[in-house]
Amino acid sequence: MRKTLTYRINIFLFLLPALFLFVSVLIAPIAMSTYYSFFNWNGLKTPEFIGIKNYVELFTSKSISFIPALKNSLLLAFLSVFIQLPFSLWLALKLSKRIRGERAFISIYFMPVLISTVVIGQLWLKIYNPDYGVLNVALRAIGLESWTRPWLGDKQVALGAAFVPTLWQYVGYHMLLMYAGVKSVPPELLEAGVLDGCTEGQLNRHIIIPYIKPILRVSVIFAVTGSLKSFDLIYVLTNGGPVHATEVPSTLMLNLLFLRNRYGMGSTIAVMLILLCFAFALLINLAFKEEKPV
Amino acid sequence: MKKVVALVLAAIMLLSLASALAEKETLTLWSIATEADANYQTYIDALKDLNAANEKYEIVMEATENEAYKTKIKAAMSAGEGLPDIFFTWSMSFLGDFVEAGRVYCLDDVLPAYKAELTDAMLANTNYDGKQYGIPLVFNVVTLFANMDLLKKAGWETAPATYDELMKCCDDLLAAGIIPFGVAGKENWCLSEYTEPLLVKTIGAKGLENCYTGVDSWNQEGVIRAMTIFTDMIQKGYFDPNASALGNEETKQNFLAGKYAFYQNGSWNCGEVAAAGENFVALPFPVIDPEKASLYEMVGGPNDSLAVTASSKNAADAAVIAMELGRAISKGGNLNGAGMPGWAVNYDTSSVNRVSNSVAEMVAQSSGMVLFGDNFLSADAANTYLDYIANLFAGNITATEFAEGLAADLQ
Repeated sequence: MRKTLTYRINIFLFLLPALFLFVSVLIAPIAMSTYYSFFNWNGLKTPEFIGIKNYVELFTSKSISFIPALKNSLLLAFLSVFIQLPFSLWLALKLSKRIRGERAFISIYFMPVLISTVVIGQLWLKIYNPDYGVLNVALRAIGLESWTRPWLGDKQVALGAAFVPTLWQYVGYHMLLMYAGVKSVPPELLEAGVLDGCTEGQLNRHIIIPYIKPILRVSVIFAVTGSLKSFDLIYVLTNGGPVHATEVPSTLMLNLLFLRNRYGMGSTIAVMLILLCFAFALLINLAFKEEKPV
Repeated sequence: MKKVVALVLAAIMLLSLASALAEKETLTLWSIATEADANYQTYIDALKDLNAANEKYEIVMEATENEAYKTKIKAAMSAGEGLPDIFFTWSMSFLGDFVEAGRVYCLDDVLPAYKAELTDAMLANTNYDGKQYGIPLVFNVVTLFANMDLLKKAGWETAPATYDELMKCCDDLLAAGIIPFGVAGKENWCLSEYTEPLLVKTIGAKGLENCYTGVDSWNQEGVIRAMTIFTDMIQKGYFDPNASALGNEETKQNFLAGKYAFYQNGSWNCGEVAAAGENFVALPFPVIDPEKASLYEMVGGPNDSLAVTASSKNAADAAVIAMELGRAISKGGNLNGAGMPGWAVNYDTSSVNRVSNSVAEMVAQSSGMVLFGDNFLSADAANTYLDYIANLFAGNITATEFAEGLAADLQ
């Protein structure tokens, strides 16, 4: 009995530093944000308790526009899952077939992940520049002058234009995850498939993709939660403009916190983001859950 | 030999200890004077002189770009930690929030020594409940800059003097293939540099101030008239069609490179505009409603300021240094064409550029002035106000909706 108790105390003591870090770095900020979300606070004066008024205002106020910002994030998540990830998977499958220059291609596709987002933002700002940007110059050169526009300033196309680099940047990241998964498929499984007369497409569909399902699940979770939290590239490219056309919850949160001095409302958005990320992660896990054989 | 080495080492240690003791204490200054800022050189020169003259303190500047600076200073003020000793601030509600939270050192003790060089008008925007918290630097007004070479190409030998002439001039410019106005649609405050002069020239400076303070409603004929003119200007193509994707720096460079005939922005650009060529001039925006406004009613005033944090361990000394720095920046900014002096002028001004001088002449004749809306209003209200302007520029709302919306949301 005493031995078991000592053993448990030892486990507790060994876990204590990690627990302390986990609580102070993750749990405490979430708890603080939740606490402040119930207050009307400008960050300087004494906070005034207002209950759930911030949450009500968040979903009803036209001037805050949280719902359109959330819609933009969900659209980005949709595009990530249905365009970015399939493309990453296609690349991973192609590159894992021992093509010539495999490593070079992997490095090239992974490079945008290594480059600072601010640098990528600046690069795409130049590409989209209405006067000298490569995109408009190319369109003019091929006689499509009518297609030229201020890509990041036109509210009809700004959202799409801002999403392109966001999706492009992380293709390499998901590709690498999936590539590692594809490479881990046991060769005997593939050989068995080949002996059974499977085509390349059938091998991919019936052996490789089911085998890397856990990795696909991780990629989908990263893509969806990453889209909900997306901030840096949007901030550099448009800062949520023109007139909130590219606003996402994170840029809205920054705006409320530091431009409007509404720390309580900013905390409310932070809490909503955390809840949404958890909810989506759970839903994705459920969607990928496999029936265990009886 | 060992003794000699030991003695030399001991001497070196003593010398380094002595030099460490003699080392100056550091005072940190947060500002927006990055290399792209019109006042960058003014700050560098002023700090160089002050550091050379001060035996006790070394002032070290950390400069951050304008918009990022607002986030940085607000976050630091909110946390109450990691604050500098001296900081750049805008007047009215921006500094007012920090003062109310007790984060700013009161300058009343040091002010009397400098009072002879500062007028009440210059101090008023950073005076809260009769106590002085801010030190004025330079003051600026919204200025209409024009490229006379482009106007001549459109058949205008002289600048348009009336509102009707200005509109006719814009039509002629368009007919000549020249974009009349450059504006940075990506930065909402730049749009307000167009809407506010339109409002002032329609309802007068006092009329606009009354809207800000809530004395008068935004939902009034004059506001709708001014904003209808603004939307008409947009629809007629008077603004760069790419404006919504451009920042202020790009827009200014386009104007200086001859892409636009007019550029309306702060008078802190005078130095750069004057240096771009003799063809560039500053003009007053013409009167729209002569019954309510006059030609030299303007948008602007003392806004750029310095303040001292209450948490500075050398707050009293920092206050004196901030005063000296404020005076030096006022002088340097004036001479470099980055603003008009907030302090008394007791130096040779013959080197001040002609564009700054012409703006100074307009200010001297000014019959009314109202501060920039985003500084006059509280942070939340200012952003709502700027949002309405951005929506108007984007064509999402009409002039009437602008007036009704502001009346509902701000009053």
